[in-house]
Amino acid sequence: MNNKELIASMALKMNAPKSMVAVLLETTIATCTELLLEEKTIGFQSFGNFEVRKKEERLSVHPSTHIRTLIPPKLVVNFKQSNILKDKLKDIPHHE
Amino acid sequence: MNKEKISSQEIIDLVASKASVSKRAAEEFLKVMITSVEEGLLAGEVVKIKNFGTFKLQWNEPRKSVNIQSGDEIIISGYYKVVFIPDSSLKEQINEPFAHLEPVILDLETQKIELDDETDSTSDPLRLFNEQASEIKNLISEIQALSSNSVLSKKEDKTVLEDTVDNNENSESNEYVDELNDFSKENESTLNENELIKTESTQEDSNISIENEKEPIKTELPLEELNNSIENKEEINSIIQKDSETLLHSELTSTPYLDDIKPLKSRKGRKLILLILILVLGIGTGFLFFTRSDSKLSINKISEKFSITEIINSVSQWFTPKTKPEAVAEKVVIPKDTNEYDSINQNQPIDSVQLLFDNPRVYNDFIASERIRNGSRLTILSKRYYGNKDFWVYIYEANKDRISNPDKIEIGTLIRIPKLDPRLIDVSNPRCILKARELHDIYIK
Repeated sequence: MNNKELIASMALKMNAPKSMVAVLLETTIATCTELLLEEKTIGFQSFGNFEVRKKEERLSVHPSTHIRTLIPPKLVVNFKQSNILKDKLKDIPHHE
Repeated sequence: MNKEKISSQEIIDLVASKASVSKRAAEEFLKVMITSVEEGLLAGEVVKIKNFGTFKLQWNEPRKSVNIQSGDEIIISGYYKVVFIPDSSLKEQINEPFAHLEPVILDLETQKIELDDETDSTSDPLRLFNEQASEIKNLISEIQALSSNSVLSKKEDKTVLEDTVDNNENSESNEYVDELNDFSKENESTLNENELIKTESTQEDSNISIENEKEPIKTELPLEELNNSIENKEEINSIIQKDSETLLHSELTSTPYLDDIKPLKSRKGRKLILLILILVLGIGTGFLFFTRSDSKLSINKISEKFSITEIINSVSQWFTPKTKPEAVAEKVVIPKDTNEYDSINQNQPIDSVQLLFDNPRVYNDFIASERIRNGSRLTILSKRYYGNKDFWVYIYEANKDRISNPDKIEIGTLIRIPKLDPRLIDVSNPRCILKARELHDIYIK
């Protein structure tokens, strides 16, 4: 489901024009980004948490050429699903 | 790292205010959004949100594990997990504090000797600090050696002073003994010790008096030496030693402008205080060096001399106002100035680009504005807007009214990114980069 489809489905549910929904989506994303940039964790009930985590620098070895590289530290966004969502996912049949 | 968790309610409030919608509408929207994403995921689809990221399901295969309490083998069944992959724009924004770092390839086979395996962020300051720390250690050990063998050192001074000191010494010594006794009466803190020492043999008194008469001569001589020989670093070290000793003596005596007469304390106690004060001095200069290590290496040498001359100048002011601190300061400043003038005296083509460089720049148009966050830097902004880190100087110039120190800008400051003539910030033109670096040197003194 890409952006367009998402907006379409949301507009349908809310009985609101797509333009409005698009604007709302944009502002929500912008707000979330700003908060993450302040290194705060955002929590959505029954959905999950968005968190900023620091990855320490590490030595990695290229398996074939054996060149050792020092990868610098970095900050990443992490999403952790809530247990309620996890339970919902158990109902999905899995076809091998 | 902030451990605060922001609830969806706060998000709703923020969105409502930003998009100027009612809180109910914002709340409804958020609920619908979450539901839609969930629906998409439960249907097995990948949900992509522009400028944010994608949500998708990840299947984890069943695996064997152990029951922690009983120790029996159990099988963890396979399950789906919601995985979020942030968009590249979000990744870049979040990683801004570390954006300037890049992976470093270590070549251990060819480099047999040293492991230079530190990233940009840690190598230069650490190495500098280590060098400086070892320097300071040497200094302190030398000073300690000096102070512990204070009699020996004074004997050394004696040989130096032999040329200058006359036979008048002996006549002066008597005066000193008298003044010594007077001072000891006045000095409250060392009253008991003074009395004790006073009652001791005259031989001790004469020894002390000889030491004391060395003091005033000693203080004046090192200062002369200081002014003559600033260039040689080794001499600076020895000067610091003498300097710190004189500093200590000045602190310990009651009035600096009178002749130095050691208050009569036991030598061991004096040495302890001496050591402690020297250590504090050493740590102080160490901090000075460390804070200055942020700037370029080339500037560091000059700044070292600066700080030493600062100490020396302040000391010289205490003792003899006749000495020339100005001459010392000028001596160090001149090399910086000539750099600037050289660029103008050189024969450079007078074209539009050069005019751009030389004419004072006025900033009226702005293409963007940025708020300073924790960890954001002008160099990073410059790289983003102009394509090169060196052009941060123009951003600094445009915002001089808001930035007092380009190295330390307050969090929350609103920086306006100026619209610059493309010829001025041409990434491919080496002259542009040179000019930017010149300005950098000027601003980061």
